[in-house]
Amino acid sequence: MKHRITLRIGPATFRMGSAWPGPIRSLERLYADYPAPADGIADFTVRLEPVSLLRRWLRPSIFITGDHGLADAAPMSLAHGLLAAEMGMNLQMALGWRRHLLLHASSVEKDGRVLVMTGESGSGKSTLAAQLGERGWRLMGDEFALLDLETGTVLPFPRLVSLKNRAIDVIVAEVPAARMGPLLAGTAKGDIRHLAPRADAVARMDEGAPPALLLFPRFGHAPAIRPVGQGETFMRLTQASTNYVALGEPGFAALTRFVTQVPALAMDFPSGEEAIAMVERLWEQQR
Amino acid sequence: MSHILDDMVLLYHRSSGQTHMVISPVPEILETLEDGQPASARDVLQRLLRRYDLGPADAALPEVAAQLTNLAALGLIRTA
Repeated sequence: MKHRITLRIGPATFRMGSAWPGPIRSLERLYADYPAPADGIADFTVRLEPVSLLRRWLRPSIFITGDHGLADAAPMSLAHGLLAAEMGMNLQMALGWRRHLLLHASSVEKDGRVLVMTGESGSGKSTLAAQLGERGWRLMGDEFALLDLETGTVLPFPRLVSLKNRAIDVIVAEVPAARMGPLLAGTAKGDIRHLAPRADAVARMDEGAPPALLLFPRFGHAPAIRPVGQGETFMRLTQASTNYVALGEPGFAALTRFVTQVPALAMDFPSGEEAIAMVERLWEQQR
Repeated sequence: MSHILDDMVLLYHRSSGQTHMVISPVPEILETLEDGQPASARDVLQRLLRRYDLGPADAALPEVAAQLTNLAALGLIRTA
């Protein structure tokens, strides 16, 4: 591929190639603080290719490919190249990673313990993690929490945070412009802007910590907190894991340990400020 | 391989790689079959009655038989 970059995010290394310079330039800028891969051996390859030779110049459309592909992935506009690159990395991770149990969840750390937040797209887990990451918590990731199969530790996967629609303005107001990616307007998920985690969070991306609390946040509802039973938690986490089935018995052991040891709460909240106050209160109570 | 949660029991079925989430009376029934020896629905009921009050045996037997049919369909037990 003409334009290339190799990125290491937590334990995973990605070799990214693109037919166009734009997406790689965005990655270079936003991942500037990330340490270089140690040995140059990548776990995954992500390629951003033109849909056809002509479409490289004419209304350029990106097709995402790599080691693991989805047959029906729709081509994307070159203007959304950074999103394509990020989606490509997510896809490789979701379909190919076997070294940890992958939970579709955001995670933040404080006092050496991890708060894990899982929920559907739009639940507010990404925005809440991003906001906590600016308020004394260490952002470990907004998309995947990696659960160590042996120790039960949560490992960071601090990719760029993908902010959607209303969440964009909330974060732009409190983060320096250098850490924000370009506005990608009108994607399939609405407007998207990426946020690079703080340099101190990136510097500690190899440092895991034990999970202390699991939250199921839900944005847009009156404040409420209710305990979630272990059975429901287990079921929701198997649905939130992309590799639970593939891991077999070690995955079962890791997930049952997590569910048995980590208290789980559903948290409804009407606004970001309210959510942050609720999380801080819950965190104090868990100590 | 099984794991007890506060509100259900998880079963990991090694040969299929499937996880089953079960509640009473499935764990109790499986426990009566732990020795791996063939047993009829009536045997299972007799073993259950030693530990649990299931009411009249005539009414409980079809229930136990139906549970065993379901477990066999899931591949968790085999019909001898």
